[in-house]
Amino acid sequence: MESQRVPTGIAGLDEMLHGGFLPQTANLVEGATGTGKTTLGMQFIQHGIAARGEPGIILTFEAFPEHYYRDASAFGWDFPAHEAQNRLRVIMSSPEVTRADLQQINGRLERVAGQIGARRMLVDSLSHFDRLSADPVELRRITYEFINGLKRLGLTAVLTRENAALLGETPDSEEELAFVADSVIMLRYVEIQCTVHRALVVLKLRGSDHHKDIRQYAITAHGLEVRQRFEGTQGLMSGTATMTHAEAFVAAFLSPGTP
Amino acid sequence: MPDGDDFAASLMNDIDPRLLELIHTRINSFIKWDLVRFFHDNPHTADTADSIARYTGRDVRIVEPELLQLARDDVLEVEELAGMRIYTLVEDRDTLNLIASFIRACDDRQFRVKAIYHVIRSLR
Repeated sequence: MESQRVPTGIAGLDEMLHGGFLPQTANLVEGATGTGKTTLGMQFIQHGIAARGEPGIILTFEAFPEHYYRDASAFGWDFPAHEAQNRLRVIMSSPEVTRADLQQINGRLERVAGQIGARRMLVDSLSHFDRLSADPVELRRITYEFINGLKRLGLTAVLTRENAALLGETPDSEEELAFVADSVIMLRYVEIQCTVHRALVVLKLRGSDHHKDIRQYAITAHGLEVRQRFEGTQGLMSGTATMTHAEAFVAAFLSPGTP
Repeated sequence: MPDGDDFAASLMNDIDPRLLELIHTRINSFIKWDLVRFFHDNPHTADTADSIARYTGRDVRIVEPELLQLARDDVLEVEELAGMRIYTLVEDRDTLNLIASFIRACDDRQFRVKAIYHVIRSLR
């Protein structure tokens, strides 16, 4: 039921998610640099504040809050005004501090969430947790603990994570992380006939069905726009798509100019 | 007739007395000035001296004593967490307004010159 969902505000994505994320879940958005992970997360926060009266928190590691204000402003979202009205907090910290804070009773993050009545959160990005441990098992334990700490706050969270591969397959370590998240959205660059396109797929939505097709998307002046599915191509997630047999047949024998 | 130094001082003192006091008592070094600007621009930062030094492009050995002084002077708050010392901007509205006035005033070159004069005198 749509009323039990937390819409992202991105129409095409909400349709794929059958209305949005499930409440109080941790949702991973993973993709290479420049694919729009942060934009998606900011749009989720903006939609909550502007359209649904749901205050939000942006927790950033290493990226300056003033960069979020500037980037949001390019989409027409006034984050400083939201902060002045106590509907948003952009918090910069480090993974070590955040991890320790979440282990406290009534820590800083919990207090801020309580002060503004936060319902949504963007964590940008989980990739910074990698420096906390070189051991993948320990890192998974730390990340799992962090995500559960966030869930304890009762927020619906979008967590971004950088994928080192610009095109093609996801490294194994990221599949590990996908296991602990409630939903996983992948943003990918795909090459089709010497042109780079952007592709979005919902890999997983725990506890609910979702659309499994691979959709095209664009970053417009108003944020992310999820468009129609890719047609006539296969192998998109490998990074280099090829035409389906039917499309190849059409291209070879039925295209204009064929005798 | 005032001598040259007195005349210069009287010109340099011609700024909002609240801001003059802020410079004399709390923003009395260029590192503190930089840190105050950083916290003003990124007001919900909560982090260690090590991270703040990195964010501001400075050496932690220089930044940490200045952070501690800003905390002592009620510009920042400091909290112990799991063996780490975490710095945040104070929530006191009067202090935040005063800092905002200082940062706004710094847009004016004349004010900056006067503020630099007072910081240099504090460093003597």
